[in-house]
Amino acid sequence: MSAPLPNLPERAALPDWLRGAISQPSAAPADVQAIAQAQITTWGLPTLRDEEWRWTNLRAIMRLPAATAEHTQWQPSPLATVLPDALVIQFSAGKLKAIPENLPDGLTMTALNTAEAALRHAAFAPNAASANDALLALNTASAHDGLIIDIAANTSLTRPIVLDWQDDAGTSNHSETRVLIRIGPHSEATVIESTYATSAATHWRNAVSVIHQAANSQLTHISLGLAGAARLLTDRSFVTLLRDARYRSINIQLGGQLVRREIDVDIREPGAHCDLLGLMMPRDKQIMDTHTRVTHAAPHTTSNEQYQIIADDAGRGIFKGRILVAQDAQKIEAYQNSRNLLLSNTAEIDTKPELEIYADDVKCSHGATIGRLDDEALYYLRSRGISRTDARRLLISGFAQEIVNALPSPDLVAWMSAQMDASA
Amino acid sequence: MKLLEIKNLHANIGDKIILRGINLTVNAGEVHAIMGPNGSGKSTLCQVLGGRDGFEVTEGTVEFEGRNLLDMETEDRATAGLLLGFQHPVEIPGVKNIYLLKEALNAQRAARGLGELDTFVFMKQVRELVKSMQMDDAFLHRGVNAGFSGGEKKRNEILQMLLLQPKLALLDETDSGLDIDALKIVSEGINRLRGTDRGIVLVTHYQRLLSYVEPDFVHILYKGQIIKSGDKSLALQLEAEGYQDILEAAS
Repeated sequence: MSAPLPNLPERAALPDWLRGAISQPSAAPADVQAIAQAQITTWGLPTLRDEEWRWTNLRAIMRLPAATAEHTQWQPSPLATVLPDALVIQFSAGKLKAIPENLPDGLTMTALNTAEAALRHAAFAPNAASANDALLALNTASAHDGLIIDIAANTSLTRPIVLDWQDDAGTSNHSETRVLIRIGPHSEATVIESTYATSAATHWRNAVSVIHQAANSQLTHISLGLAGAARLLTDRSFVTLLRDARYRSINIQLGGQLVRREIDVDIREPGAHCDLLGLMMPRDKQIMDTHTRVTHAAPHTTSNEQYQIIADDAGRGIFKGRILVAQDAQKIEAYQNSRNLLLSNTAEIDTKPELEIYADDVKCSHGATIGRLDDEALYYLRSRGISRTDARRLLISGFAQEIVNALPSPDLVAWMSAQMDASA
Repeated sequence: MKLLEIKNLHANIGDKIILRGINLTVNAGEVHAIMGPNGSGKSTLCQVLGGRDGFEVTEGTVEFEGRNLLDMETEDRATAGLLLGFQHPVEIPGVKNIYLLKEALNAQRAARGLGELDTFVFMKQVRELVKSMQMDDAFLHRGVNAGFSGGEKKRNEILQMLLLQPKLALLDETDSGLDIDALKIVSEGINRLRGTDRGIVLVTHYQRLLSYVEPDFVHILYKGQIIKSGDKSLALQLEAEGYQDILEAAS
């Protein structure tokens, strides 16, 4: 556990443009919004003096330039050709384009801002508890746009749902989006979020997704961070798992100036399991940060985390994995492994496991390694005539393949590998 | 035709002088064996020819088909046709064998001005080689040498040679640590590499390999110099009398 900081962290006051954004009505129910408005006004934005933000500086957000561009043109989703049967829902600068017609049986989608009150209550359910949740409060106070995905009981959705986030600076340099995904009992689905920007202008999206999985349901939730050297993404997922539910997160980040993901998984009932797989490849001066928090609140629950960072140039990668096992949660298995590769002398990787275990019948392990490219391996490949650049690429993709190969379709694996090679 | 010409080669690792004036010429069509006790400089010679970092050449020249080999990058030596078979092939868990073979072959082809080989043709060729080395197809989709036995690693080295068809194969203790069955498979592979336009240099500690791959020349390396050269009978003499007698006779 981290020691409390000696002084109260200094908070960064909200810039004026953000103050303006939270004073407008959001899609949250008015009473929920009011609380969040008060919270974010009091808390401000986190700084490096917050333990949860000590490696990730939000300065780029404070300095976000005013938006000047008009609404960007819709680009076709890069995944539409890779996964031709996908249900693609596009967002540009946070704005929903359209919900596809003729959805498969058992699947309902509703735009957040037109949803009825009960749905909006569900979407805005997680309450911010402390200043560490400032970005959650900001989102509740100001999110207009987003989507609610409902999958009925006993529905096995064969077509993946693609949420295509084109985070270009449009009429705004900032967007707040909220997604609610509810998977009914015994149902299965795959949701792929792809985030990218096509322009060089900076856009910050602060996203929250709320995921509820009913008994024995299964969700594969993939987040692919693609091109866009200037885009900023802060993205928090709240996942609740009921009995025997299985959640699998694959988080691959290749682009963006700043990417901060937080994945909170609340394993609430016995038999449930989560896999959290991640690969972050910061280069140039990119910052890529993932915080996972897995709470084993019930006995006979399991979790498995595999995170990898490959940092080049002056890139910074951060992984912090917290596992909490509640007092009466016996027969728990929780594994966490953080494998990292530093490719340059100016890159930086910070990795930190945090285990809080209050039960006694628990199998829990964690490991973290940081290494460099193996010179022997590089020499061996070059001795076969493979150029230094190609040998390096082979070794890097070899290191990353465990995560990339976990993607659910061979076409997606091949496409993602090509994206990686192109950015390496 | 001269493939490799080493003249008065001296090399150090740090402060330690390992090679003290090696002279060796290998022509196309010839098989040379370099034998020597531990610490005589056999592996250093291979690594200097392979272009590994950490070795300093202080004197002498090495030419490969008339080009200054020592000025070339490791990968350029390989694409020029000099391939090194490792004494200890490196394990690379994340990179599949099939990728290594494909990238390496395409690098060779690119150096000869050829385009990438058609995947179907490539796979057919690779499968035949895998079969000839008595390996399992599944090996192609395993990481390079990852978890391989000593014998599997050496068979893999020869398989790469057979695919890449070097002008000069330099095999560093490819026979070490092999049981007799693996030794036969590896030797058959080496014999298939033999050809009038190709040279082979076998660096070995033991005479045993030379019963299966008959060399045209045998050289004894001792304290960084070739102290004696002869035909295959020298290897037999070495086997019968041991290094000590020959070293004493030569000194």
